[in-house]
Amino acid sequence: MAGGMDLGGGGGGGKKPLDSAINLVPFIDLMAVTIAFLVMSAVWTQVGALQVSQSGQAASQDQAQPTEQLKPVAILLREASMTISFGGQPFDPIQITRDEKQKMDVTLLAARLKEVKSQEPTQTALTVTAEDSVRYDDLVRVIDTCTGNGFGAIAVSPASG
Amino acid sequence: MAIVEPTHHLSPRLASMKMFSHASGYKTVYADLNVTPLVDMFVILVLFLVANFSATGEILSMSNDVQLPVAANTQELIPAPVIVISKQEVLVSGFLLGRIDDLTRDAYLNIPTLEEKLREMRMQYENLHAAANDLSAFKGNVNIQGDKNAKFSILKRVMFSCAAAGYSTISFATLAGEKEPTTDG
Repeated sequence: MAGGMDLGGGGGGGKKPLDSAINLVPFIDLMAVTIAFLVMSAVWTQVGALQVSQSGQAASQDQAQPTEQLKPVAILLREASMTISFGGQPFDPIQITRDEKQKMDVTLLAARLKEVKSQEPTQTALTVTAEDSVRYDDLVRVIDTCTGNGFGAIAVSPASG
Repeated sequence: MAIVEPTHHLSPRLASMKMFSHASGYKTVYADLNVTPLVDMFVILVLFLVANFSATGEILSMSNDVQLPVAANTQELIPAPVIVISKQEVLVSGFLLGRIDDLTRDAYLNIPTLEEKLREMRMQYENLHAAANDLSAFKGNVNIQGDKNAKFSILKRVMFSCAAAGYSTISFATLAGEKEPTTDG
């Protein structure tokens, strides 16, 4: 393609036409290079992170708060059931039910957490104690539900220790 | 009747077309390609790709051996050492630590090789930043890329080893999922 600008008919006297075409070739080149770069560097899978801490450590410096006055919230997670305790008092155990994709149903857990949150709105710390046989998927699902219900500082601890 | 040889001539319809007419002599063959739709498409593509662009790049390398769990309330993944807990093995930044069966056989809560490797990585990181007079750079972040069917027995050992090596902020890598519908509507 010709690179020069077409400024209408040349010479001949008379009035020159005012319409001029912008040369789009460098612009197309730039676009092609940018698209190639962006397509190559694109991350197609959307990955997120759930931040936790080992039990006994503050989740992070900015979330450290005086938790002495607040009633502690804990979840004991087993393979087939889980128990939420609030201020040392356990609620009734929740039997874990799963759908056909082995995904844990967390509706009851979310309802209990809302109940706890309504009683202690400033509490954000929660400890999840899990047994050895618990699947990672279940643990992540429980942590996700807790985070979604306002418990941002989650600590994980093993059931035996 | 004399035999008439067929000559090369155009039909009246074609002969009337400008392209085949020889009446005006010299004709330019310059044809202008309309690039406006192409430019429009490029602009839309660039906008879409820039909107999806991640400046942090790919922190995790996906493999078929590791199926990440799905979570909705996640944060952004921070560039940090990645510990992979696959269906059978544990790796840290591409370095194979061992098979899960072997690592969970003992009653010990930590994995000495993992702890050692993490300490080594921490030392490297701190030395590198000390050279740049940046002594508060180490935040203790570590990412765990675990298979969703992994058991907590291996996870607790990995987490304990991370904490023992000074990596106290542990992030579980998850795939972005839909938020659960709330019970109160």
